[in-house]
Amino acid sequence: MLAVGYFSVVVMWGWAEGLVAEMIGNGTDILTGQVQVHSTEYNPDKSVYETIGGRSGTDVPTLVAQVAADPAVAAAAPRVYGGGLVSSGSATVAALFLGVDPELEPQVSRIMRALDRGRQPEPGTNELLVGAEMARVLSVEPGDEVVVVAPAVDGSMGNDLFVVAGVFRSGMADLDRTFALFPIDALQMLMVLPPTRIHEVAARVVDPWQAPGAAERLDALLDSQGLDVVAESWTTLRPEMVEYAQLTQSFQWVLLAIVFGMAIFGVANTMLLATFERRNEFAVLLALGTKPSGIVRAVFFEALGLGVLGLAAGAAMTLPIMVWWHNAPPDMSWLFGGFTMQGALIRPVLRVEYSFTMAVYSAVALFATVSLASVYPAFRAARVPPADTMAGR
Amino acid sequence: MKTIRFGLALAVLTAPPMSSAALQSQQTAEEIVDRVDRLLRGNSSRGTVTMEIVTEHWTRSMEMEIWSLGTDYSLIRILSPRKDAGTATLKSENEIWNYLPRVDRTIKLPASLMGAAWMGSHFTNDDLVKESRIIEDYDIEILFDGERDGVAVWEFTLTPKPEAAVVWGRIEERVRQDDLMPVWVRYYDDRGELVRTMVFGEFQVMGGRLVPAHMVIEPADKPGESTTITYGDLEFDVGLESSFFSLQRLRDDRGSR
Repeated sequence: MLAVGYFSVVVMWGWAEGLVAEMIGNGTDILTGQVQVHSTEYNPDKSVYETIGGRSGTDVPTLVAQVAADPAVAAAAPRVYGGGLVSSGSATVAALFLGVDPELEPQVSRIMRALDRGRQPEPGTNELLVGAEMARVLSVEPGDEVVVVAPAVDGSMGNDLFVVAGVFRSGMADLDRTFALFPIDALQMLMVLPPTRIHEVAARVVDPWQAPGAAERLDALLDSQGLDVVAESWTTLRPEMVEYAQLTQSFQWVLLAIVFGMAIFGVANTMLLATFERRNEFAVLLALGTKPSGIVRAVFFEALGLGVLGLAAGAAMTLPIMVWWHNAPPDMSWLFGGFTMQGALIRPVLRVEYSFTMAVYSAVALFATVSLASVYPAFRAARVPPADTMAGR
Repeated sequence: MKTIRFGLALAVLTAPPMSSAALQSQQTAEEIVDRVDRLLRGNSSRGTVTMEIVTEHWTRSMEMEIWSLGTDYSLIRILSPRKDAGTATLKSENEIWNYLPRVDRTIKLPASLMGAAWMGSHFTNDDLVKESRIIEDYDIEILFDGERDGVAVWEFTLTPKPEAAVVWGRIEERVRQDDLMPVWVRYYDDRGELVRTMVFGEFQVMGGRLVPAHMVIEPADKPGESTTITYGDLEFDVGLESSFFSLQRLRDDRGSR
């Protein structure tokens, strides 16, 4: 029972951690990035006029290099945002435009790597990537020409012909329907933005939970240089995901309490039966002068021994399963497809995340369980009447 | 409000002449507002307009030539600045098409963009398309009847009828009593907050009719921003047919002259 309880809690915690990791990973890796740097005035309106460094812009390569140099940051890339129309034939769709560095962006987000067909757009060309749903609505395929219209920052209506280089399929319906990706220089030209003006530097952090620290460091660094920017981590940009992670964690504590709470009664019952069967033994020990506290200690140490055996058996069951489901998680996509949660795509893959903390907490809970479960049986054993018991009364 | 809108810039060209005798007669609030409404509608017309747009980030001026036929058809072609010259917008019944000379392509605006700004101005595409009569959608009451700044005016409040599918929660309008010229119109949202104000001025006879030759629209949430429309020359009853407002005409700069 103890072994099964240990196995259940650790594996279910691992599944929950896996689900949260999947949500955070997809919620930030697909497009957002784990850290974003932009003008202090950019959010929440996301005005196209609010570029880093104001109208004069900034030294983009230097800024990107500074962000990438943070010890927690794995990669950084500049971005320009816009909005407008993409039209082909008689079909026109409203779209969000994202100007990216085709070399750096794939190191930061997965959106450009989610290529369904075609190829990446070349820097310096009028090429773009469109989402699969947008491509369907516009009836375009790689190689087709589209008209792109975007309000420029000088008030004019930027418009030009672009060639669809590729079609991406992120799995996120909103992204696939509304986003178009351009080489950053092409979008800057369309929106009459000089190369020094960008809206954002996005960064990828290897461990998403290190993002708040990285954002704080970058904020301080860039502030010391007099740049009117703010660095924000995904925990600030996507607070709903943090709340979900915290909620999931609180549920795991409830699970731990329920599982080991049930185990207490089971173990106590077993030990009670065992001490009842051994009451002659306890009577003899008491008759020979053993103090009741000695009997209590004996039962308690037997319970701890039971705990050690339970932990060993539980760990023996849990470890291989954890390794197996971490590296080759059960794929339930044959049963149901992916779904979105908190704006992130979740694949129906039951991947478990290793949680050393939870393994330790579960072990502590296991020993607490056997300790508590041994209290009443030990008390009963210590109060066995020696003479009556040995006389069979 | 569906009727006093950017279409105003088109329909005001075809304003019916006002008879002062008619103005003396007893009129109900609905009749007065309807007359002002119809002032801004009419038959075929052609004119030139200067639109000056002032935003927090930029200021620009555009000259445009406009043709209209009733409330269903209009064609707007930008004459200057040079960068935008030739760009044209065609409204044909409930559809809006744009012609982009730089790429020599025509695109149809999707319904989802009807609320978007037209050419960066404070007018929306929706302002161009909506066409129902104001008295059909609003209950009208006279709020004030008397003199303001020495001028006899009426002030009306227009509240949407329960079944009306309209954008605004309330409209207020001031009209001069002597010639039925609108002075200003204020548009409020469902919460009763002012959204934008349109101010009329420079009332003059153009093309043989009294019209407000100057209009300024000011969004309430963007102080200091405005779009000003000033009429140049106007012609009325120029004999346009609906066939004039075609996609071919939209693309053909010379054909519409």
